[in-house]
Amino acid sequence: MHAIKYVYALLLSVCILGQVSAQKGEISPSRKQAIDSLALEKVRDLSKYISIIGNKKTPFSEAQRVMDRAEELFAPDSEMGVSSLNRKEVNYYKVRKYFERLMALNYDRVSIEWYDIHYISDLERQPDGRYVGVVTVYQRFEGESDDGLKYKDTTKKDITIYVERKKTQIQGRIIEFWDVMLGDIRVTETSA
Amino acid sequence: MIYVRAAIFFSLVLGLISTTSVQAQLVSDMDDESRLYAETKQVNQFFRRFNGEENDKGDRYDTKDRQYQSVKLRKKYLSMLFDASNAGIKADLKAQFGKDVLEGTKPVILDFHGGNWFAEVHTTFLYNNKAQTIILFLTLEKDHLGSKWVIDKVHADMFDPYFKRDTTKVGKFLHPLSHELDFMNLRKAFQNSDSVSQFAGKRFVADHLSVFLYEIKKGSLKFKTVDEVKFHFFQIPGWYFELAEFNRPGNNNGWLISNLVSLKSESERNILRKYLYYETK
Repeated sequence: MHAIKYVYALLLSVCILGQVSAQKGEISPSRKQAIDSLALEKVRDLSKYISIIGNKKTPFSEAQRVMDRAEELFAPDSEMGVSSLNRKEVNYYKVRKYFERLMALNYDRVSIEWYDIHYISDLERQPDGRYVGVVTVYQRFEGESDDGLKYKDTTKKDITIYVERKKTQIQGRIIEFWDVMLGDIRVTETSA
Repeated sequence: MIYVRAAIFFSLVLGLISTTSVQAQLVSDMDDESRLYAETKQVNQFFRRFNGEENDKGDRYDTKDRQYQSVKLRKKYLSMLFDASNAGIKADLKAQFGKDVLEGTKPVILDFHGGNWFAEVHTTFLYNNKAQTIILFLTLEKDHLGSKWVIDKVHADMFDPYFKRDTTKVGKFLHPLSHELDFMNLRKAFQNSDSVSQFAGKRFVADHLSVFLYEIKKGSLKFKTVDEVKFHFFQIPGWYFELAEFNRPGNNNGWLISNLVSLKSESERNILRKYLYYETK
């Protein structure tokens, strides 16, 4: 399934191919939408993986496999910066560590749902030529213990996306495409 | 061509697979949703709402769309972009600001790369294992193929005592014929570290950024966390405003104008800038 998804992303990217200014590596405004869709696709994948990892019914081995998959969405060295309403200090976790903490939460039942709301920023170019954007999504978490202890929160997740022009060879032909990787994520608890 | 056709086919087929298998569970709570839509979720969204460049859902308008940057749309958005709980921003001041921005001969648009705005970031560092607040002022700078945020200035109260001096008193000095003795009196000048700043010139201004970089390189200053971020805008002629993030119940949320000042002259603008940078000279 993973391989299929990669091919899917790749081919979707090829669709975007014809819509770039080849010389300068610039993205035409009308085609930015296609890149936004690809970014959203990756964010939705991440949302799904987080829900699976957090689910107490997910077997350990399956959770490990999903964590591997989720990690592949990210650029190396990506971190989660987490704060809450009561604790303003930002705690920084490597992505894998964040997933492991999520899996180890001390609840007997966990529900992770996502609001059907997203906000995609404009893409800005970095000094190295890559583009960077931020996708904002919202997650509702509910945890419950057998002794009746309940906890719930809504968190805003501001997710960095890196958009990079890459090359691949298909049947001897060099194909250029735009690839999207996730980067650092800022997680803040909201008052919702 | 054949690749593109194949790509479209696979996109459609696999797209169907992905939408059925990938979709995460969605929340269906209309109250929360309307609050989240109303929230100005990113600084980027503040720019787009201020300029009237997106619809209610946050989707960008095409530049050819008649709604794009329309005065009607901008008026609607501008009214929601102020911190409504701040009684310090008077209604008539807001009205004058709106008039200047929207009804002038040329409507004023905020430009991300237009300069004259900067970030103020309150951080906590450990200085010899003691938590200290350090304020970083960052600005966007063009570099190679794109742009980046760079640290333009730093202010830390913890550095101030090192540069404090009373210029009203005569104090210690190197007498005007010290040069004839090869400045041998420097030995006495540097004997007491507390008074050493008295030997600097009147125009000396302590540069906290240099000290900050030095202390980090030396290893005595270690980053801990970011406490607060806000932005200062001087991009609109005759006006200054502050942008801060609000996280509270209700619809007046996210990145909002938290302070607004009408600037009558260039000197007022400079005084305010210096004040924001904690500069005394």
